[in-house]
Amino acid sequence: MERYARQVCFPGIGEEGQQRLRDAHALVAGCGALGTVLANVLVRAGVGHVTIVDRDYLERSNLQRQILFDEDDLARDLPKAVAAAEKLRRVNPEVVVEPIVTDLNAMNVEALVAGVDVVLDGTDNFETRYLLNEACVKHGVPWVYAAAIGAHGTTFPIVPRQTPCLRCVFAESPPPGTLPTCDTAGILAPAVGAVANLAAAEALKLLVGAYDKLNRALVWLDVWENTYHRLALGAPVPGCPTCQQERYEYLTAHGGSYTVELCGRNTIQVVVPGRPRIALEALAERLRAAGPVTYNENLLRLQLPDYEITVFPDARALIKGTTDPAVARTLYSRFIGL
Amino acid sequence: MSVRVRIPTPLRALTGGAAEVTVAGGSVAECIAQLEAQYPGIEQRLKDENGDLRRFVNLYVNGEDVRFLQGLETRLRTGDEVSIVPAVAGGGT
Repeated sequence: MERYARQVCFPGIGEEGQQRLRDAHALVAGCGALGTVLANVLVRAGVGHVTIVDRDYLERSNLQRQILFDEDDLARDLPKAVAAAEKLRRVNPEVVVEPIVTDLNAMNVEALVAGVDVVLDGTDNFETRYLLNEACVKHGVPWVYAAAIGAHGTTFPIVPRQTPCLRCVFAESPPPGTLPTCDTAGILAPAVGAVANLAAAEALKLLVGAYDKLNRALVWLDVWENTYHRLALGAPVPGCPTCQQERYEYLTAHGGSYTVELCGRNTIQVVVPGRPRIALEALAERLRAAGPVTYNENLLRLQLPDYEITVFPDARALIKGTTDPAVARTLYSRFIGL
Repeated sequence: MSVRVRIPTPLRALTGGAAEVTVAGGSVAECIAQLEAQYPGIEQRLKDENGDLRRFVNLYVNGEDVRFLQGLETRLRTGDEVSIVPAVAGGGT
């Protein structure tokens, strides 16, 4: 207990709270700027089981704000979830840190969310957030929305059917082109760190049962304009498609393979659900004739003259060098097989 | 009625960088019309072609969501504070 001494003597936590943290299972969805801060807080606080889900691998531009990664991780070409888990196990060997390298989608989100005690939002798009929202509402799992861009960010906690869910507050996602994007606005580490730490505080309250201390408000902060606002969120919105009508539209949306454009990365992700695990070594042998191939147990990379293809064992691929889903699917088809 | 309107970061390009502006308006609808008169282009960021509030932008009067008040017809008094809060998706990795 020496590890948590400074936390246990905080009246809001105490021995009982610390035990609840130890017994808890948290899911961190996304392990980028938000996710690394979230996971870092939870693991150091002694949450007994932290699952980190992220589909992506490391890039140097991550290091400016993604606090769990360093140059060594980059050199080893690790997926983010794996790098984060390795780092956090060295921070706190007493808890279980479980990395899952996958795209969060309608096929897997419920299995990941059901039975978890809290979900933390480290994602970067509304489609995934609505998916998380539906899964959390459906399974009665509290979760904390968080988002940051430029020097500002926002967060609020969601207790299904007690507080407004994500769809209550934002009934529709912003169409492309209406709000700043990652490649135009940038992101400052203090902004995303501030938002993520506020979200992590809400998670701790949810896990120890301090519902009376929950911040039932949308927080908006801007570290460059020096603003902080709390906007009280009342009750769930009557007629909300998710938490009132239980029309889980995002959960029932996807069937076969689909593509996702990775914002600002000139990359398309191709997801093919339901495929058997790919043996990367065997794939590497087949692809050597096409170009330079490198692989490890986590991913395979094929370098083509105009594209770079990264393949994961779950048959997911990141096709870098295009923003055209058709081109990405063609390349996937040609080199991996659709 | 003179009210203060808090402009969120994404819309400040339209207000010349101002984070807070003061406009006249007896209702939220009038307030938006006044904003548009002073800062052209801001209205279509807030309202769609049908004249309804866009569903990814929330408006609060003194901290209360106008959806739970009288929507665009919510009355305003001098000194009221209107907050514009858009959905934030965040950056890519």
